[in-house]
Amino acid sequence: MIEALLRNNLDWAATRTRLDPEYFRRLSEQQAPDYLWIGCSDSRVPANEIVGLQPGELFVHRNVANLAPAQDMNLLAVLQFALETLKVRHIIVCGHYGCGGVRAVLDGRRHGILDHWMQRVQRLCEDHDADLDAIRDPETRVNFICEKNVLAQVRSLSRNPFVVDAWRRGQSLSIHGWIYSIRDGLVRDLETTVCDADAAARLATPLPSPRRGSSSRTASRPRVPRRPEAR
Amino acid sequence: MNQVPLIEPLPPELVHEPLNWLFAEHYRHRQLCHLIERVGTATVLLTDEAHEILTFLRHDMPLHVIDEEDDLFPLLRRRCQAADELDSVLGALSAQHHDDLNRARALIDSLERALADGRAPGQDRESRRVFTDFALHERRHIALENAVVLPIARLRLTAADLRSLSIRLAARRGLLLDPQGEEATS
Repeated sequence: MIEALLRNNLDWAATRTRLDPEYFRRLSEQQAPDYLWIGCSDSRVPANEIVGLQPGELFVHRNVANLAPAQDMNLLAVLQFALETLKVRHIIVCGHYGCGGVRAVLDGRRHGILDHWMQRVQRLCEDHDADLDAIRDPETRVNFICEKNVLAQVRSLSRNPFVVDAWRRGQSLSIHGWIYSIRDGLVRDLETTVCDADAAARLATPLPSPRRGSSSRTASRPRVPRRPEAR
Repeated sequence: MNQVPLIEPLPPELVHEPLNWLFAEHYRHRQLCHLIERVGTATVLLTDEAHEILTFLRHDMPLHVIDEEDDLFPLLRRRCQAADELDSVLGALSAQHHDDLNRARALIDSLERALADGRAPGQDRESRRVFTDFALHERRHIALENAVVLPIARLRLTAADLRSLSIRLAARRGLLLDPQGEEATS
């Protein structure tokens, strides 16, 4: 089974070379992508492929539920390298509908270490419990939070010191929030692009939703399943 | 074999008017319901009709659910206002989509069995109920979408929203619309 992957690799490299004899030489000489992709680890969301980019054109960071927490050393290392060395011009946070990480938060069961990783999404669900209460279909609840999660990550990135420093230096940098549907292969722009510190400040203090009443934190029954506090 | 399809195809140019596309698609769903009732209550197996229903349930209906669930509804959630009171309606419709797809699977199973056995589903009370239940729920669902969702969508969605909906409706069906122009290419 695993040997098949090595055979596939031989086939891929040979085909590439046959089609373009200079391909690997060019690729090895330089990495200069314009884009940093922060996406989900889900195997059905192949970053390069869905946006039609070749190796070398997209710097990729993936984790469960496409989170960008300011305390994650992995993310911070990627972000600093992308901004200060590669000087990417766009950061794309791309979530996807039907995310298993988000579903794990909403199902109310325990999932071990994943629960620690997903604590921010758990809080996001609690912030949106009035919205979630209006949605009866479990899958639609997941998808709703998938979108809100992308927006939250864009907001978090826009306040990240590496990003703020890049804007201070006058570096051209936009942060985009997208969502992908595995069901049709299409990306949707969630219209949350942030291009500078002023836009980031506006995004950091979102207006209360005009569509809904007061927070249902005051409501009598909890709507988002709560797990025992992770230790 | 019938030469004329029992469920009318959509005119391709309608893709440029996504809300009219969805409205027309609802009309096709009504035609589907009519067909399902005919097949489900007939005492002889209506083979052509059964095949047409199968094709629709396997291909057209799941695409329509994606059109709404992954495109129109999320967009409306972003655009609608407090006075629209659309949240709970969209929430209920999403649950119905989920139920409809489950009913569609039961109906597909029933039709496949009927075609394999050469026996009309109408001859069996339980099978007949699968058919009539589907039509009943689907008609209610469509009525709600036509009466509430599409009018609000016409009010709230911008020209840019409609254009992006068109582009994705087409892409989902293998067509590429020029973001600026009007022509579709396969």
